[in-house]
Amino acid sequence: MSHPVYLDYCATTPIHPDVRTAMLVALESVFGNPSSMHWAGRQAAELVRGARQQVAEGIGCAPEEVIFTSGATEADNLALFGTFHRYAPAHAHLITTTVEHHAVLHPAERLAQQGYAVTFVPVDGAGRVDPEAIRKAMRKETRLISVMLVNNEVGAIQPVADIGRLAREAGILMHTDAVQGIGLPELQFDALNVDLLSLSAHKIYGPKGIGALVVRQGTELQALICGGAQERALRPGTENVPGIVGLGAAMQLVRQHCQEQHPRLQALRATLVERLQQTIPGVIINGPAAEVAPHVLSVSFPGADGEMMLIRLNGAGFAVSLGSACTSQSIEPSHVLTAMGLPRELVDGTLRISLGYPTTQADLDALLAVLPEIVSRAIL
Amino acid sequence: MTEYRVCVIGGWCGNRMVMVAEHLEGVLSNAGLPSRVTTHSVWDNYTRPPAADLILQLLPAFTQSETGCPVLTIKPMIVDIYHQETIERILNQVRADYPA
Repeated sequence: MSHPVYLDYCATTPIHPDVRTAMLVALESVFGNPSSMHWAGRQAAELVRGARQQVAEGIGCAPEEVIFTSGATEADNLALFGTFHRYAPAHAHLITTTVEHHAVLHPAERLAQQGYAVTFVPVDGAGRVDPEAIRKAMRKETRLISVMLVNNEVGAIQPVADIGRLAREAGILMHTDAVQGIGLPELQFDALNVDLLSLSAHKIYGPKGIGALVVRQGTELQALICGGAQERALRPGTENVPGIVGLGAAMQLVRQHCQEQHPRLQALRATLVERLQQTIPGVIINGPAAEVAPHVLSVSFPGADGEMMLIRLNGAGFAVSLGSACTSQSIEPSHVLTAMGLPRELVDGTLRISLGYPTTQADLDALLAVLPEIVSRAIL
Repeated sequence: MTEYRVCVIGGWCGNRMVMVAEHLEGVLSNAGLPSRVTTHSVWDNYTRPPAADLILQLLPAFTQSETGCPVLTIKPMIVDIYHQETIERILNQVRADYPA
């Protein structure tokens, strides 16, 4: 293997040195319980307060609206179950889409099993949902609409602000899983017209095991667990101080750099698309041409086997991901690509290449140097 | 009598590869073609094919020039281990090569 090239930033990102430095303070010097009244507790509470401020400044909300969780999966669960478990099943309806992350889809399916009404709104061939389709799905008992900001498989940016406006006019709560959208330069909590927003640290150069749900003031939720008053009793339990500090530092980092990184990644992605189309006949770029996040590229190679491409790319030092996933019984096609109407054979020949701040043109040149042969060897 | 060796090549989904191999061992035995059926994951090694008399691939790992033995693609068995057309192709190949 030559020098390894990581191109799977949608899966996770490396911890940035600035984030690591911030976390080391919490790991090495500040060990107190933030709930303790003495000096050790106050030191820890001060770190948590500072990180909460950084997250709030990063997305333009009030610090007290930030509820730290173990990650975006918990945040999504809290948004959905926390909203619906305040209502009897007969009186609550959820609207979401067919391309959400499983952290939303699986709670939605659980709610349906519990007797709540759930509508899964389909998307178009580019993976985008039409706000008008959401509006048509609204009922008088609709309590929550959950639509992700950026799709994690194809990068489609959803019209969350437009949907949020419709929700607000109808008096319905709006949630967005913004995990893949934190690096968008224009990201602002208020401008999105949402009441609940999920985010994760490890997708933005922070640590794993920490995230947050931003809860607009006045929004009522039922906690998933009980046993303490931390995080406004919405997420009881002693705070993960090093993780929280890492999330705060990561949020600050991304918000500081998104203005320069966004166009840089856009240019890298555009060049990659152009050269893929030049060098490998028949490639299909999945997702919208515009309204797409610059760090995500889903590409299908007709007739090729995705896993074999992945194996050979891995052997050559490249880390990318697949459009299918292995389950206990079989290989399941991506629910996102399937919802977009891709046939199974194309889904099976799909790779996701995701870029990050460390990605360079040289990395992509190296990928393009080996990919044509790898694709040709993976043709069934 | 020489033992006939069949190797099922698979990838990450090791469970499926083993299920296919076990199923095919039974199919071949029932057809009067008892064979030694093994598995090989290309995540462990994709550069050197295993020694076998017949290679059955769930994904396009090796070519016949690399293996030195017949190679059949059995991808439909990822979804359906009873896939009749694929099983017929395997049986035809084994019957043609099976030691007397």
